[in-house]
Amino acid sequence: MKKSLGLVVGLLVLVLSVALAPSVAADTPTLIIGAIYVGSVNDFGYNRSFHDALLTVQKNIPGVKLLEAENVPESAEAERVMESMIQQGARLIFPTSFGHQEPAFNVAKRHPDVYFEHAGGWMMAANFGNYFGNTQAAWYPMGVAAGRMTKTNKLGFVIGIPIGFAVGNVNAFELGARSVNPAAVTTVVVTGGWSDKAKEAAAANALLDQGCDVLAMHVDSPATVIQTAEARGAMSIGFQSIEARVLAPKGWITGLGFNWAPYFTEVAKSVIAGTFTPESTHLGLGQGMVVMAPFGAAVPSSVRQVVTAAADKIANGFNPFTGPIVDNTGVTQIKAGESWGGEKMGDFKWYVEGVVGKVQ
Amino acid sequence: MNTPLLLGVLAGAVLSGTSLLYATLGETISERSGIVNLGLEGILLIGASVGFAVTASRGSAYLGVASAALAGGAANLLFGWLVVSRKANQLASGLAMMFFGIGASALIGEPFVGAVIRGLPKWRPAFLATLPWVKSTTLFNYDILIWLAVPVALLVWGALFKTRWGLGVRAVGESAAAAFASGRNPSAIQFQALFAGGVLGGLAGAHLSLSLTLTWAEGMTAGRGFIAIALVIFSKWHPLRAIAGALVFGGAEALQLQLQARGAEISPFLLDMIPYVLTLLVLLAWGGARRLAAPAGLGRTFYGSD
Repeated sequence: MKKSLGLVVGLLVLVLSVALAPSVAADTPTLIIGAIYVGSVNDFGYNRSFHDALLTVQKNIPGVKLLEAENVPESAEAERVMESMIQQGARLIFPTSFGHQEPAFNVAKRHPDVYFEHAGGWMMAANFGNYFGNTQAAWYPMGVAAGRMTKTNKLGFVIGIPIGFAVGNVNAFELGARSVNPAAVTTVVVTGGWSDKAKEAAAANALLDQGCDVLAMHVDSPATVIQTAEARGAMSIGFQSIEARVLAPKGWITGLGFNWAPYFTEVAKSVIAGTFTPESTHLGLGQGMVVMAPFGAAVPSSVRQVVTAAADKIANGFNPFTGPIVDNTGVTQIKAGESWGGEKMGDFKWYVEGVVGKVQ
Repeated sequence: MNTPLLLGVLAGAVLSGTSLLYATLGETISERSGIVNLGLEGILLIGASVGFAVTASRGSAYLGVASAALAGGAANLLFGWLVVSRKANQLASGLAMMFFGIGASALIGEPFVGAVIRGLPKWRPAFLATLPWVKSTTLFNYDILIWLAVPVALLVWGALFKTRWGLGVRAVGESAAAAFASGRNPSAIQFQALFAGGVLGGLAGAHLSLSLTLTWAEGMTAGRGFIAIALVIFSKWHPLRAIAGALVFGGAEALQLQLQARGAEISPFLLDMIPYVLTLLVLLAWGGARRLAAPAGLGRTFYGSD
């Protein structure tokens, strides 16, 4: 009895392994990509932009498998998550939040055969590159749009943490607004964190209480500010992901979003071909990484023309940070003949004339 | 038309303070029965996530509010099982409930992150809507939870101080042994108080996700549960004083943002500290007298009945 049972089991195993083997072999992906996000990909904002790009990469390159982890904190915990992705075969990892940089760099040191592309940092190694979109100049046409659409001449800007890059965004916004509307004033409210929904709602309400009728923001998710503005009949300009426009059917003017897909596809192909070279890639509006959202229904064609013209100007190299530029205390920060670009975008410690606020 | 600072702060205070008030009222009932629930933050999060999940999947914000209330009550009953039935240490169990709430709410809310919901409808009485200094603000344009906040505070006060049940709750909170000796059932009363407290905590969370922000994000209460616990002490365990406390703290939150919106030259990070510094100042200035106002049996475990 035992002998025949063993024979039957043995035959079963043989049959099953033959039956299953082809499907296992066919499942080997071309490349396994891992991505870690600091928040949820459904945020209509920062995290969504990376997620959407990776889905496009999957369409562009057949056989790419995607491993994603949301709500990964900016701590050593991130190392654990990336290690587990490498265990599952990931050979290209995208740590998408600034604070993921060090954990990712540590993991990269231990795995020289796995490649990393970090968003927004500066660290580099043979298998570690970084990239980000240049948003500052791109906010200039957003300011143009706000300056033309506002009826109260008061614009509101909610930012999470007043780092130089965020301050630069506000400055370009106000410069753009003033170029078409010399009476436009931008008020800045800082919430203290990149993602605190209740504070963002309260900040938006405070700005609306002050008579602002256009709100813009630099926080992880534009959703709360946009929805608060929409609920009180104000207009909004989005950031991080152009998908946020569905949240404001009445008040959406336009917005900025990141399009990482072309860059991600290029990097993925280089990893597959074995030609990965670490670089620090920073591209702006018109160069493929930063894109303008479609206009909202409320925007008349005259405004659309002016805004599109301003965006084209930026894409063709116009630098709004060309002197003389005076800050809001009267000091000339950029002298005539000088212009700020590139690395200096992180150095803004002052707001331009017309902005209500102080960088602390 | 620009809203004057005071009006803006008041408007913000009511919006921010409502969830604080509900949370404080809930914790007041629990603490009046002798049980301190440090896990209030977890209860709020469970209320917020369940409310949002139900609203996103069913489309009705009122259903979401009801579910949030029930979920909060159920979570507090779980806490009650730990500290009343199993006689576990209240402080440790409370903290455990906080972590449980953080995790459970993340799990419940995860499939719904990014869902766009129609929140609680707002309503403003017609005669107020015509006033110019009201029209352009959020004043008096409130959802049902805000309109009911003060009536609920009155209800809690009435229940605690004007009913037999309330007398029983306070008796158990002062001395469970004496209450037991006089024929009451401390365990049952504490469970009832915890359920009521949990319901109010759930409502507090629901207001955040279904009215203030119309979204769900992990940990979105950002410490409000702990501010509510401090507010219970601030208001000397009295539901009506809790209204003032909630307005003060809601106002402190709103104040710093309103000041920024008016171009105040103080660092936003310093301004951000105002609500918490205020909490500490209040507790320091009036800590002595308040210690005497606490229910005598607060935090004690009663072993005598089962």
